[in-house]
Amino acid sequence: MTIKEKIVGRLLLTVFALTVLVPIIVILVWSFAARWPWPNLWPQSFSLRGIQEIFGGYSGALQVLGSSIVLSLIVALLAVLIGTMTARSLVFYNFYGKRLIELGTILPIIIPSTVFAMGVHVLFIRFGLADNIGGVIIVHLICALPYTIKIMTDVTAAFGCKLEEQASVLGASPLQIFKEITLPCLLPGIISSACMAYILSFSQYFLTLIIGGGNVKTFAIMMVPYLQSGDRTIASAYSLVFICSTLLVFVIFEKTAKRFNKNGSNYFFV
Amino acid sequence: MKKLFTFSVIILVLLLALCGCSQGNAPSSTQFDPNADFETLVEQARGTTVTFYGWGGDDLRNKWLDTTVAEHLKEKYDITLKRVPMDIDQILAKLAGEKQAGTEQGSIDMIWINGENFYSAKQNGFLYGPFTDKLPNYAKYIDQDSPENIYDFGYPIEGYEAPYGKAQVVLINDSAVTPETPRNTQELLEFVKKYPGKVTYPALPDFTGSAFARNIIYDIVGHEQFADMPADKETVKEAIEPALEYLRELNPYLWNQGKTFPATIGQVENMFADGELVLYMSYEPYVAATRIANGIFKDTVRSFLFDKGTIGNTNYIAIAQNSPNLAGAIVVVNEILSPEIQASLYGELKSLPVVDYNKLDEQQKELYDSVDIGPGSIPQDELLAKRLPEMPAHLIPVIEEIWLEEVVGK
Amino acid sequence: MKKFKFAPYLLNLPLALLSLIFIVGIVNGLLQSFGLIPALGLYEFTFKYYYEVFSRSDLLASIGLSLYISLASSLLAAIFGVLLSLLLVMTGKAKGKTLNLVKIPIIIPHIVVAFFVITIFSQNGLLARIMYSLGLISAQADFPALLYTDNAFGIILAYLWKEIPFVAFFVITIMANISSTLGEAAKNLGASQWQTFWHVTLPLCMPSIKNAFLIIFAFSLGAYELPYLLGATMPKALPVQAFIEYTHPDLLHRPYAMALNGIMFFISLIIVVLYYRLLQQNTRKVNGGE
Repeated sequence: MTIKEKIVGRLLLTVFALTVLVPIIVILVWSFAARWPWPNLWPQSFSLRGIQEIFGGYSGALQVLGSSIVLSLIVALLAVLIGTMTARSLVFYNFYGKRLIELGTILPIIIPSTVFAMGVHVLFIRFGLADNIGGVIIVHLICALPYTIKIMTDVTAAFGCKLEEQASVLGASPLQIFKEITLPCLLPGIISSACMAYILSFSQYFLTLIIGGGNVKTFAIMMVPYLQSGDRTIASAYSLVFICSTLLVFVIFEKTAKRFNKNGSNYFFV
Repeated sequence: MKKLFTFSVIILVLLLALCGCSQGNAPSSTQFDPNADFETLVEQARGTTVTFYGWGGDDLRNKWLDTTVAEHLKEKYDITLKRVPMDIDQILAKLAGEKQAGTEQGSIDMIWINGENFYSAKQNGFLYGPFTDKLPNYAKYIDQDSPENIYDFGYPIEGYEAPYGKAQVVLINDSAVTPETPRNTQELLEFVKKYPGKVTYPALPDFTGSAFARNIIYDIVGHEQFADMPADKETVKEAIEPALEYLRELNPYLWNQGKTFPATIGQVENMFADGELVLYMSYEPYVAATRIANGIFKDTVRSFLFDKGTIGNTNYIAIAQNSPNLAGAIVVVNEILSPEIQASLYGELKSLPVVDYNKLDEQQKELYDSVDIGPGSIPQDELLAKRLPEMPAHLIPVIEEIWLEEVVGK
Repeated sequence: MKKFKFAPYLLNLPLALLSLIFIVGIVNGLLQSFGLIPALGLYEFTFKYYYEVFSRSDLLASIGLSLYISLASSLLAAIFGVLLSLLLVMTGKAKGKTLNLVKIPIIIPHIVVAFFVITIFSQNGLLARIMYSLGLISAQADFPALLYTDNAFGIILAYLWKEIPFVAFFVITIMANISSTLGEAAKNLGASQWQTFWHVTLPLCMPSIKNAFLIIFAFSLGAYELPYLLGATMPKALPVQAFIEYTHPDLLHRPYAMALNGIMFFISLIIVVLYYRLLQQNTRKVNGGE
């Protein structure tokens, strides 16, 4: 790369970073602002309402944040598991109904959640899955799987099965192959899809409300009403906690992944 | 393999922890006897949890329910009040699903409701009732002959919901920016012409935008004729034509020339707070006081009414037909109607109380007289003196439809 | 590898179970659009709701608007997303902190993004204020109206903010792999950077790009939040119409909401099927050429 290209590259990266970060800074400021009228570039008065709502104890926001994170972690784990399995079948095998699955995996994205929620609600009540965590995990999974399956399919296809076959020929046990080859190679994809699944679950509002029925209170359920009512101070405070906690979870994902994958062969391409 | 095992154990523990987070409600209504007296219900309700479903976008109300009301109930009856923030359309969707599946014990006890949502819920058998006759405080402190306790948006209540708080449309502006307070639609037109591009209202069917449009209609063509008007588009259109003409006349001077309107009242409030607009309208009569207290509005902001009055409504609490804790719900609704809780609703929450002032004793009256409602607001008696009845609910969607066709961008 | 005959079916078992739940859910939901909601006393199968929805004068405008928003935002997002990904790979930032920067917009819910766009791009927003303080404009009205307009500029802007990083996130893993292995090889063989990108990297990333495009296209076609909060009052995007019908207090209006959703669903389905057809033809071409 020439020096000129490097400078252009840096410049573009900075523009990108600013585009992402300026809005975040805006909500950081709004979390403490009460009034910010035209044409001020800085708030005119400040308020601790947002902080009190979250850390004041009476709203229970922090407990809900905790249980909400655990819920989404479980969804992410299951979604990665199922996504990896499905991806393997799609990449390595030809079987009856393969095309259908390929097409079907996109459906949850295009179906408006109102249609799905209303329809599945009655079904879940009959199976005893409504108003409890199990039902919520299932609907979150359904929303997250299209993404994890797509990501895992891409990664599995890119990595192929030649290495596994070679190892198998050389006499490695299936468990060894899985631990030493498959897992490390798929790891970048696993992390990506875990992140996607986590965020889809964590931000899910409508389905959680209908299926969880208020018995399952997530952070999104507490946050969205304030966003809808346009209370900028409180909505910003919630959003900030939402973003920070999610980033923290993502960092933990990556740290855990690094421990699994000591060789550091993050990118393996055959 | 060992790792896998530890891993599964961790997951299992997490799952269990999660189940703890989503506590189920101990059902207690299996032995609910509709003829039991109130004392028996209080005994049955002791130690139970009551859920209260309703809109959750107001931090002040949420806090009031979670602290003042919840603590009072815990102390007095050992009842745990669990507030669930959920929009009414989702509540109705949930009740519809439960009914279809034949759930005898749902999870909703109390519902914050009014208007057509109430009618729809009652009509479809989602609500338990009549129950207001079981509430001692209803008999003692509520004016049962008041039209607002007989009809909700024109629909007969028949004991299926108990009043919770009163609302009334107010207009709001900043005396430091705009000295005038338009007293009728004619003055409003002059006001809008004086501040072009700085006035708008939320697009119908937003709740407040719709109420504002109805208020304009009332000011121009009166409200009496709507009481028994059929929900026929042509009839309604003919009746409100002068008002439509007026709204079209406003358009060129409105924000974005009336080609488009903000989708929600929240957006209008924020635009007003930022100084992009010079007029704000609200169905919460004391919104100016609460916003000034929070520092969102300047303390020069004040509320005003049209001379002919503004629309008021009552919002109510209903009980779900499949409530798992009917006894608890009845006890809680009764307590919310007590002079003490209503006084804190007035003083802390800044909402109009539903108890009849004349039915209170001197000591209780003092609770209300001592409330300082705060700056920028209109005293309760003045509000009530200029209170107009809501339109029958079935006319409202018709007007909203006509507005979209005849006013936007015209 | 041993090809165990039932392996693919076993691997798909969990997905199949979930799909079953999902399909029953949709069928139940769509049945409501034909007027079958026993809880509300609606038992009669009818096309009445579809008929009425189709006779609405603004339906075509709504469908057009929705298609325009999704197509414009997804195409732009795909192009800029690939470029962003390329930028990150070329500057060696495909991992670590910079990648976290890419994840931030993906994390943030759409409704928060609407708030961003209003705070920054409205006539009262930060940009207008900065221009005012620099003396470039003298009042709010001088700032061009970017939001709430017929051209849906604000909605597309909001989608782009979220979707460009999404596409980059989807593509970057593969792209980083390619450029670190095949890209090197191509370069050693004397290909210019641009040639490498155009003839090696891009074609190999294409499946991922297409998947990402399809996901954001399908999503933006059915989502109501951004068009609802940032769109013009008339015409309304199709999902916004459905949402408003859904929140109609009279429960007997639910079938209308479901009919609108049904129309939306069928439009999306047709597009997705067409898309897969095209995709298949493409792969065949590629395979045939090899």
